[in-house]
Amino acid sequence: MPSNTLLIAKREYLERVRTKSFLVTTMLIPLLMGGGILFSVVKSRHSKAASHIAVVAADTDLALALQDELEHGKDSAMQVDVISPPTGNTRQAVVDETAEKQIDGFLWIDMDKGKPKATYTSISSADISTTQAIESSLRRAIVREGMKRKGVDAGEIKLMMAPVELETETIKNGEISKSDTMTAFFGAYVLFFLMYMAVMLHGMNVARSIIEEKTSRVFEVMLATVRPQEMMTGKLLGVGAVGLTQIGIWVLAALGLSAAPMASAAGAGAIHISFSAGQIIAFIGYFVMGFLLYSGMAAAIGAMVNSEQELQQFNMVIALPMAACMFVLVPVISDPNSPFSRIISLVPTCTPLIMYLRIAISNPPWYDIAASVVILLATIYGVLWLTARIYRVGILMYGKRPTLPEILKWLKYS
Amino acid sequence: MSIVQLEHVRKVYDKKVAVEDLSFSIEPGTMFGLLGPNGSGKTSSIRMMVGITMPDSGVVRLFGEPFKRDALKRVAYLPEERGLYKKMKVIDQLVFLGQLRGLDEATALKRSHEWCERLQITEAIPKKTEELSKGMQQKIQFISTLLHEPELIIMDEPFSGLDPVNATLLIDTMLELRNEGRAILFSTHRMDQVEKMCDAICLISRGRPVLSGTMREVKSRYPRNRVQMTFEGDAGFLRDPAVEEARLYNGSAEIRLKDEAAAQQVLAQAVNGGTRITRFEVMEPTLEEIFIQEVGAGGNVDA
Repeated sequence: MPSNTLLIAKREYLERVRTKSFLVTTMLIPLLMGGGILFSVVKSRHSKAASHIAVVAADTDLALALQDELEHGKDSAMQVDVISPPTGNTRQAVVDETAEKQIDGFLWIDMDKGKPKATYTSISSADISTTQAIESSLRRAIVREGMKRKGVDAGEIKLMMAPVELETETIKNGEISKSDTMTAFFGAYVLFFLMYMAVMLHGMNVARSIIEEKTSRVFEVMLATVRPQEMMTGKLLGVGAVGLTQIGIWVLAALGLSAAPMASAAGAGAIHISFSAGQIIAFIGYFVMGFLLYSGMAAAIGAMVNSEQELQQFNMVIALPMAACMFVLVPVISDPNSPFSRIISLVPTCTPLIMYLRIAISNPPWYDIAASVVILLATIYGVLWLTARIYRVGILMYGKRPTLPEILKWLKYS
Repeated sequence: MSIVQLEHVRKVYDKKVAVEDLSFSIEPGTMFGLLGPNGSGKTSSIRMMVGITMPDSGVVRLFGEPFKRDALKRVAYLPEERGLYKKMKVIDQLVFLGQLRGLDEATALKRSHEWCERLQITEAIPKKTEELSKGMQQKIQFISTLLHEPELIIMDEPFSGLDPVNATLLIDTMLELRNEGRAILFSTHRMDQVEKMCDAICLISRGRPVLSGTMREVKSRYPRNRVQMTFEGDAGFLRDPAVEEARLYNGSAEIRLKDEAAAQQVLAQAVNGGTRITRFEVMEPTLEEIFIQEVGAGGNVDA
């Protein structure tokens, strides 16, 4: 009776789209997500190490060259005091200054058979950006001083030490186009998180809606006219359509934003987001599959428990596989076509997010995509088959939560 | 043609036998009461009639044919556990449930308004269900089951939780529907309502039918051996050997006779003894007494 399924889907859809929470999540999620990511990207690009340190060295030229690098370098803007050469009580003085927090730390450089040996002493042990800045600046200062001593012309040294800009290009469909890795990465990142939120949100909505019908006892009324499968299918379709609507709004907004001239202004001048058609198709396709997989699992949980509170305890079942995708995010982004990334993208619970990400930031081979879709669809079929059985029995059970052997017995009823 | 016919139906949950060898049939235009103490199998029986569960053995026939889901389009079911979508508007809810039962939107809308007028709850139409009182929600639920003009109406404990005014309104509506020729089955454990309303009953206890038939048939199986009388004067006639038990109140007595036929004899003796009798009524047993007698005789009643 597909008409019943459609009626149920329509009700579910209209009731959800009309709520305030739909409006709020549709507006807030991309704003928070995009804003947060934009902030962290922009911040990390423009952030420079800004500690106040003392440099102690016997070699005054080296110390001054290092001071120049640290104060005006590519990625550092520190305040540097130079003490050169040190006297007998210098060490005690800088230690005291550091302990009293007048300076963040001090760098002690000794010359050992013409090779400098540097030690950075500070009060914080994990200031990664400062130590990295010191390390690279020190190397450049040593090279510069070395060349100066060999009589190389100062202008030539400057030219040689100038930072190199790397431009990137991508070949897509036989055409070479200039690409901004940062932009591609940013766009993929935003959509990755949007998909994560959408799958999670709407998956849990399916479970919540089942529990609502269970606690309000609507099931009994419904089941006298409708089959359980029709109810479940209708619900998945309805909630899924809400998710698609939401994502549709986001995609349209993103397209509008990337077309508008103000986008570049909003993106702090350098960030301009663009999405290719293929990326959007992949996004929608993997969202639909991800939604079916996770909402199928959520529906089974919803049918087994009796209240929202009980549902909270089982959130993990859905949240954990999702969180696993976040843990592998960094290795996949840094090398989207490594064997690790390929295997992870074929694990069904990770496929929607990770495979989408690989498509967005690289060009994975077509058989990888095909394999991921086949495996994912097979898994979805299996999950929905199991869920339909649990659902049919579970929705009429009130009170006690079923034990595992009982659930196995439900699967046998047919 | 019987509207509903159950033949030797049996249903077992795990190891508990919920219904055993249950048979009865309901004719068109009949008010049928399914009686029994709590946990006796009333709801289990009803669920098999509307296809929520299937009998393990035996046959359920609706409209003369073995159970088919299609037949449910002609059936109304009001479950004991009432449920409506809380956040939905009343009218949307009624139209939705009407459409699920095969009505088109316009018809569902029209009939919803008609019924809301009939049950005097037009003011609830634009509200959300959760804003309504319990009694109003019950009426909405009741309407939602009747929108598709079913030929068979099945109600599980329809009176539980209703105040007397609404219960009377419901009874009147049910009687009207019966007079329109529909068959109505309802379960209850309140005998006073059954006695007034039902044309036929089936009494079940611990899953088994104990009594079944038209109200007349059932009552005729029990002797008319109870007498209520009001009198002045000597009460010596109560010592007649035909009197099994007598309770004497101030100027009146309730008598149980050993034999139905002994009533005239007792009356004659009282008159002969000079007692002034203002009332002497031979009564049939009430359904409640039959219920207690039958269910109580079977041992403990599951609470």
